[in-house]
Amino acid sequence: MKFKVLGLLGFGAILALTGCGQSNSGSSSQAQSSEAGKTDDSLKGTTLNLYTWDGMFPQEVLEGFTKKTSVKINYTNFDLDETMLAKLEETKGGDYDIVVADDYIVQLAIKDGLVAELDKSKISTYDNINPLFQGKFYDPDNKYTMPYGAGIPLIVYNPETVKTEITGYEDLWKPELAGNVGIVGNYRVIDGIALKTLGYSFNTNDLTQIQQAGDKLMNLAPNIRLINDNNLQDYLLSGEVGAAFMYTSQVSQALKANPELKAVYPKEGLGFGVMASFIPSKAPNAAAAYAFLDYINEPEVAAKCFEYIGYFVTNKAAEQYVSDDWKNLIVFPEDKLSLIENGELIENISDEANELHNKLWEEFRQKTN
Amino acid sequence: MKNKKIKEYLLRIPIYTFTIIFVVLPLVYMVIISFLTKAKTWGFDPAFTPDNYKKVFEPFYLNIFLESIKLAVVSTVLVILIGYPFGYFMGRLDTKWKRRMMMLLMIPFWTSGLIRLNGWIIIFRSNGVLDKLLMFFGITKSPLKLLYTYPAVLVGMVYFLLPFMILSVYSSVEKMDWGLIEAARDLGAGKIEAFLTVTLRLTMPGLLSGVVLTFVPSMGLFYISDILGGNKIVLIGSVIVEQLTKLRNIPFAAALSVILMLLTTLFLRVYKRISGTGELEGLF
Repeated sequence: MKFKVLGLLGFGAILALTGCGQSNSGSSSQAQSSEAGKTDDSLKGTTLNLYTWDGMFPQEVLEGFTKKTSVKINYTNFDLDETMLAKLEETKGGDYDIVVADDYIVQLAIKDGLVAELDKSKISTYDNINPLFQGKFYDPDNKYTMPYGAGIPLIVYNPETVKTEITGYEDLWKPELAGNVGIVGNYRVIDGIALKTLGYSFNTNDLTQIQQAGDKLMNLAPNIRLINDNNLQDYLLSGEVGAAFMYTSQVSQALKANPELKAVYPKEGLGFGVMASFIPSKAPNAAAAYAFLDYINEPEVAAKCFEYIGYFVTNKAAEQYVSDDWKNLIVFPEDKLSLIENGELIENISDEANELHNKLWEEFRQKTN
Repeated sequence: MKNKKIKEYLLRIPIYTFTIIFVVLPLVYMVIISFLTKAKTWGFDPAFTPDNYKKVFEPFYLNIFLESIKLAVVSTVLVILIGYPFGYFMGRLDTKWKRRMMMLLMIPFWTSGLIRLNGWIIIFRSNGVLDKLLMFFGITKSPLKLLYTYPAVLVGMVYFLLPFMILSVYSSVEKMDWGLIEAARDLGAGKIEAFLTVTLRLTMPGLLSGVVLTFVPSMGLFYISDILGGNKIVLIGSVIVEQLTKLRNIPFAAALSVILMLLTTLFLRVYKRISGTGELEGLF
C-alpha cells in the first residue's frame, strides 16, 4: 500500500542483483529449527530481524519489546511489497524473522514456500485477533499469518467546496466534480471501483467485464486532477482537490487535520486489503519472532501500533484501548460491519486479467492529461 | 618501449574491469532475461521465447514509446534553446565571473533533485507563488490550475536537465580559440556568419554531449511526470516499473528496456548525422 518514488529508483538495481534468486544463504539456516524451541530467557542478547515498510511500528513499542525480552531489533525496511518478495526469494526465506506486508504478496510468498507455519501455542495473544479479518484468501486456514491492520480505501471530500452529495463510487463520475478529484495510483483499486459501479467483483477474471469497466473508467478522466500514491491527503487539505479516493492511513490523517471533511463508505461495496505479519520459513531467530508477535498483539501495545500507523484495528481486544480521538477513525464502526463482511479483498488474478487492467489503467492515465 | 606498453595496459585494467562488471555484464544479463518466460509467482523460467519483443510492438506500447520520445525531444530542444546561449555567454565572461556563475550553477546540486522538484509544486499550485504574482500584476483574475499539466512537466524536465547542457556548452566555448572568429571577420564574414561557420561548428561537441546528457535521461525521468504531472503523463519508464512490480513480468520489462536503449542509440546516431560531428565534449 505504501509506494515511494525514491524506492523505485533503487528497485531496478535490486532486481538486477536478485532477479535469479540463485544466491545460497542457506548457511545460516541450519541452526534454526533447534532455536525455535527455546524459552524466553535464552532470547537474551539475540537480535530480531524485522522487515517491513518504514514507519510501521512506533519507537515506543520497539523499545518496549527490547526492554521486555532483551532482544535487539534490527529494523530493515522495503518500499514495495515486490522488493520484499524478491529478497525473500533470494534468501530462500532466511535472513528475516518477522515480515509485515500486503495480503496479495503474502499469498505469493506462502505459495513459494517462504513462510513458516505458525505454532499458535507460542502466541498467547493470538485470540485477540478480530476474526473478521481472518480466514482471508491469502491464508484461508489461518496457518501462516496474523493480520496487522486493514486498509480500506474511502472517498473523502470537502463539503465546503464540493456542492454535490457523494455516497458511492458512482458519484465520482458526476460532472460537478470536473477536475476536482484525486485518486491513488493503484490500478487494481481504481479499475476496481469502475467494476464495482457495474456490479462486478474487484477480482473478476472475466476480460469482457474488465474491458467494460475500463470503458467506463475513461469517462472518469475529465474529473481527475491528480493521481498520487504517497500523500494525497495533503492535496485534499490544501484544497488542490475537493474529493479524493485514498488509503486508510491518508483518510485518517486527513480527517484528523480537518474534521470538517466527510468520509464516505461507498455504497457499492468496499474493497480492502489486510497487512499480514508472518515468520519466514528459515527465520534465523524464530523464537524471538514468536515473542514479538506475542508482544505486538497485547491489547495495549496493539492499540498504540494502530494509532501510529493509522490503519483499521484488526485486534479485537485492542479496540477499547484506542484513544478517543482515534476511535472514530480506525476502529471500524459497529453499524458498518456488514460492509466488511460483504466487502472484498483485492486478490491476485490471472495474468491476462492483470495485464488488461494495467493497459486500461495506462490508457486512462493518458486520458486524464 | 615494450615495458611502457605493458604499463599502459596495466593502467587500463581497472577501468575495463569496472566497465565489464557494472556495464557490460548487467546489459548482457538484461538482454538474456528479455528472451525468457515469466515465472508463475516471481522471477523467470529459463525457457526461450521471442514473445516479449512481439508484445513491445503492440500499438499500445508503441504509442507510449512515442509519447516518451515526444516529451524527450521537446525538452531537449527547449534545453538547447536556453542552455546553449547560457553556456555561450558564460564561457565569454571573465575568470572571476565565470567562477561565480559556476558556483551558482552548482548550488542547486547540493540538495536532492526530488526535493527541488517538490519546490516547483509550491510555485505552481493554485494560489501558489506564480498564481499570486500573476494576479498581483493583474494578468489573471482567478487562480489557474497550473500544476499537473503538460507544461508543468516540461518546466520540470527543462529545469532538471538544463545544467548539464550549460556545462557541456560552456566547456566547449571556453576552449575555443577566439582568434578564429577574428580571422573569419577579417576575411569578410558577418557576425552571424562567423558564428554559424566557426563558433557553432567548434562548439558542436559540447552541444552534442549536452544532448546526450539531456535526451538519454529524459526518456526515463518518469518521476518528474509523477510529481509535477500528477502521474497523468504516461512515460515508458513508469510502464517498465509497473511491469517489474505490479505485474511481476521481469522478462517483458527487460525487453522494453532493451528497446528503449536501442531507440536512444538510434536517436543519438541521427543527431550525430545531422550535426556532422562525432566528438563529445568531455565524455569520450
